[in-house]
Amino acid sequence: MFEKILIANRGEIALRIIRACKDLGIRTLAVYSEPDHDSLHVQAADEAICIGPGPSAQSYLKIDRIISAAEVGDVDAIHPGYGFLSENAHFAEVCQSCNIRFIGPSPESIRRMGDKSLARENARKAGVPIPPGSDGPVNSEQEAIKAAKKIGYPVMIKAVAGGGGKGMRPAHNDVSLVKGFLAARMEAEKAFGNPEVYLEKYIEEPHHIEFQILGDKRGKIVHIGERDCSIQRRHQKLLEESPSPLISSDLRKKMGKAAIKLAEAVHYENAGTMEFLVDGSGNYYFLEMNTRIQVEHPVTEEVYGIDLVKEQIKIAAGERIPSEFENLRPQRHAIEFRINAEDPAMDFRPCPGTISLYYPPGGIGIRMDSHMYGGYSIPPFYDSMIGKLIAVGPDRPTALARMQRALDETIIRGVKTTIPLGQRIVRDQDFRRGKYSTHFLERFFEKKVPNVS
Amino acid sequence: MDIKEIKAVIDLMRKNSLTEFEYEKDGTKIRIQRGPDGKPQVFASSPGLIPAPAVIPTATGSAPAPTVQTPIPAPAQETLPTINSPMVGTFYASPAPDAPPYLAVGAVVNPETVVCIIEAMKVMNEIKAEMSGTITEILVESGKPVEFGKPLFRIKPA
Repeated sequence: MFEKILIANRGEIALRIIRACKDLGIRTLAVYSEPDHDSLHVQAADEAICIGPGPSAQSYLKIDRIISAAEVGDVDAIHPGYGFLSENAHFAEVCQSCNIRFIGPSPESIRRMGDKSLARENARKAGVPIPPGSDGPVNSEQEAIKAAKKIGYPVMIKAVAGGGGKGMRPAHNDVSLVKGFLAARMEAEKAFGNPEVYLEKYIEEPHHIEFQILGDKRGKIVHIGERDCSIQRRHQKLLEESPSPLISSDLRKKMGKAAIKLAEAVHYENAGTMEFLVDGSGNYYFLEMNTRIQVEHPVTEEVYGIDLVKEQIKIAAGERIPSEFENLRPQRHAIEFRINAEDPAMDFRPCPGTISLYYPPGGIGIRMDSHMYGGYSIPPFYDSMIGKLIAVGPDRPTALARMQRALDETIIRGVKTTIPLGQRIVRDQDFRRGKYSTHFLERFFEKKVPNVS
Repeated sequence: MDIKEIKAVIDLMRKNSLTEFEYEKDGTKIRIQRGPDGKPQVFASSPGLIPAPAVIPTATGSAPAPTVQTPIPAPAQETLPTINSPMVGTFYASPAPDAPPYLAVGAVVNPETVVCIIEAMKVMNEIKAEMSGTITEILVESGKPVEFGKPLFRIKPA
């Protein structure tokens, strides 16, 4: 087992990793930027080394300084957390060449699954369904109709040179396809200078469902259930839960098998997550893989009673995945709400500032993963997430009730937060019935009067 | 020593016409000196603290001591700028183990002057002064690790 680990991250995840290390009796070395000098993860670690000024590019992304700190601190391993360098194959390689264990998958795995199109190709080869598409641009109405027939309506017409949700329009039949095809080409030419369009299956009312994967050095891969992350605002997850209200145990078995098959095909090691889109009829399509621990990992931990960060460290140190992990069933229901220092009334503008008063929620079934404390100044250089509130219960209604209680109980003064939005979501009838898709939040905002907090 | 004890010592010194008092315990050192104007000056240093001379005014103007003292100038050291480490690594004062150090106190430097080496990942990086002035203090021991921003040298700008 490792004797000392460097945590190449900050904020709540750095604190999370330090806690897992403490539980394992491993000494910790934190690296930090100058504005993070008073951050909780720096206080919690056994040692700390400053690696640069505020901007991430000059501190948390500086591979040379992090490796220097690792050498000065004489560490055995580095945990990269999420974001920053966690999916940087080059960083994983540098660690390897410096004889420092990178707590995560191999550089090759990061490359193979980090590239979206390579990952889809790997999925196709492994027989995992991917959103059907036209395999390239369609250059005439005839081609478009033929492709749409193969894919099956409804389809999405997408610009080859587009991105970020731009240049997309749905078509539900041949007539709307032809009309849309011509219009989309004109738009694409104007917006991107390239009129080429392709087709992809339009998945209606999708749920974003992801599967937690663990792989050890012996090639054993298991899945630890799914998380439903459909509640998103502009593709940023806001609230996650497990089990998904949409998934039957049969579908869970099917999707879990597919996730494992794909991970085995790329010889995946350590923790990772397979993301899928699932429609109302139980059809699922592979989207992408995240080759790191995720923000919402506590949801899985609470449902299955596993410490995922500890498992990451143990796997990296060469331990086997316990055989009990092969046939886990969800024990409880968990919901996580991300608390961001953002002003919902000002289009979620980030609000760095000083927390003048912080009273965290507590009581049965409540877990708060956060680096907040009264008097803490949120630096403006990083993302606005200041905490994750997780509510757990024997069933979904209990978890919901506890989440409602905890959100009502939490006091954070000095900065605006997204807590009022969370309070409204958990009271929403559709959400309470488990009836939501990735369109939930945009519709939610449309029907609501602007919040006066 | 806390402030009450320091005041008591100063009182004792005045009553007994003492001009100098030095006390050391567990790495903490205090020296109290009565200057020519009768005002005591306190120098304290502890591991980890920046030396901070504090002048504690006496309640009434007391008569100067019978023996003449040469005043010790109160160095406002901590207000001078420092040359800080631009990287993480191990600080070396000399270009090689048996070579003389790059700098001594009093050395005059310009922006291109190499002031030290910081070793990181087996690479010896020559660190330049980046400013002109006179070195007044060397703040790190050779062979010790340094982090980003750590003060290496105190410098009186030209």
